[in-house]
Amino acid sequence: MNNEIKSVCEEKTYKSIFDLHSKALFNFIYYKCGDLEQAEDIVQEAFIKLWNNCSNVIFDKSKSFLFTVARNLFLNEIAHKKIVLQHKSNLAPDRTDETPEFLMEEQEFMVKLKKAIADLPDKQREVFLLSRIDKKKYSEISEMLGISIKAVEKRMSQALVILREKIGDI
Amino acid sequence: MEKYSQDETFLARWISGELSPEELNEFQKSKDYSVLKRINDASQRLEAPKFDQQNLFNKLEQYKTNHLQQERRTIKLIPNWAIAIAASIVIAFGLFYFLNAESHYNTGIGQQLAVTLPDRSQVQLNSNSDLDFKSLNWKNNREINLEGEAFFDVEKGQSFKVFTEEGVVEVLGTEFNVISRANYFEVRCQEGKVKVSSTDANDEVVLLPGNAVRIVNNKLEKWDYNISEPNWLIGESTFQNTPLAQVIISLENQFGITFDASNVNLSERFTGGFTHKNLNLALKTVMAPMDISYSVVDNKIILNDLDN
Repeated sequence: MNNEIKSVCEEKTYKSIFDLHSKALFNFIYYKCGDLEQAEDIVQEAFIKLWNNCSNVIFDKSKSFLFTVARNLFLNEIAHKKIVLQHKSNLAPDRTDETPEFLMEEQEFMVKLKKAIADLPDKQREVFLLSRIDKKKYSEISEMLGISIKAVEKRMSQALVILREKIGDI
Repeated sequence: MEKYSQDETFLARWISGELSPEELNEFQKSKDYSVLKRINDASQRLEAPKFDQQNLFNKLEQYKTNHLQQERRTIKLIPNWAIAIAASIVIAFGLFYFLNAESHYNTGIGQQLAVTLPDRSQVQLNSNSDLDFKSLNWKNNREINLEGEAFFDVEKGQSFKVFTEEGVVEVLGTEFNVISRANYFEVRCQEGKVKVSSTDANDEVVLLPGNAVRIVNNKLEKWDYNISEPNWLIGESTFQNTPLAQVIISLENQFGITFDASNVNLSERFTGGFTHKNLNLALKTVMAPMDISYSVVDNKIILNDLDN
C-alpha cells in the first residue's frame, strides 16, 4: 500500500529498485545478446532513464518501465555474441563419491548442453534461461518480455524440444 | 515424443509442475523423458556471468551527481551564456573602435607640420589644416581625410586617396598639393599622375605634372603652373588666377590676421604670391596689383577698392 507514495526520485527507493532488479535486467539482456559490456551498458542506460523520469514513474511500474526501456534499447543494438554460461562446480555433497567416469561424462554433458543453449534462437533461449537460471515464473517472464503467458509457455516448450534434438540420446 | 510435439505448452507445464498426475505418469514412461529430465536438472545448475552490481551503482551515482551539478549551474544568477554575450559585445565594440581608430593631425595658424604615413609617404600640412587617416591595414587602404592644405609625396603602392568635402584625389605614387577649404578646392600635380573627381561638379580630371585644377562655382577649372616656381613649402604661397577670397583666406591662415573685405570684389582673380616671412611685404604684394588699399583698425585689416 505504502508503495504508492514511495517516490522513485528518493535516493533510498531508487537504490532498492536497483538492488531488486538490476541483476535480473542484466541477465535478461545477457541472454539476448551474450555480450557482457553491452548488457551492462543497457542496464546502466535503463536506470539512467528511470532516474531522469523518476517523477513520472510510480514505484509499482518501475520494474516494467526498466524492462521496456531495456528491450527498446536492445532493439537498437545489432551486435550479437555467443552467450557463455557458467555452471556450479560444487555439486551436492552426496555426489562427490561418484566415479571419475561419471564425472567425466557429466562434464561432457554440461559442455554439450551449454553449446546447445547458446545455439538456441534468441526468443527461446531467453525464456528458457530466465525460467531455469533465474527461476522466474512464466507470468514474470511474460511481464519482462511484454508477451502473453501462453507465448512464454510455447517458447519454453520449443526450447526443450530443440535442446532434446541437439543433445540426442545419451 | 508424440504428446509434447502436439501440445505446444506440454513441456512448459511439465517444467512448472502443472501436469496432471496422469499426464506426468505417462510422460515418465516415454523414451525422451530421461533426456529431458537431465536437460532440466543440468540447466538449473547453470549460472549467468558475474555482474558487478556495486560498480554499476557507483557509476549511476556519479552520473546523478554530474547531472545535479549541471542543474545547479543553470540556476546561477547570471547564466554563463549571458556573460558570454556580454563579453562578445564588449569585444565587438572594442574591436570596432580599434579597427576604426584614426590618426589625427592638425595645425594652427601659421604652423606647418610634416607627417610620415605608415608606408613612409610624406605629408606636409600647411597652416590651419586637419588631416586624419586609419593606420590599420594602411598598405591596402591608403585613404586620408583632409580639410585645409597639404602637400603629398606618395610612395608607390596601392591607390592613394585624399578625401575632401569637395572631391577625391586619387594617385599612384606622386607629389601633389591639395587645398580644401570652405567653398574652395584646388589640386596641383607636382610629379606623377593624379586623378581628381569632384563630388559637386560630378566630374573627373587627370592631372599631369604642372597641371592644376580648382573648383569654382561648382565648375572644374583647369590650368597649368610652373612646377619649379616657389611654393608654400619653401615659405612662399603662389596663386594663379585664384579668386581673391582664397588669397585672403591664405593670408589669414598664414599670419593669424582678420580682414574686413566688405568693400572689395572677392571674386576677382589674383595671380602672384606672397612670402610667409613678412606680413607687410605679403600684404603689399597681394593688394598692390589688385588696386586695393589696406589699413589696420582694431587688429582688423580693412580693405578698400581704389577704383571706387
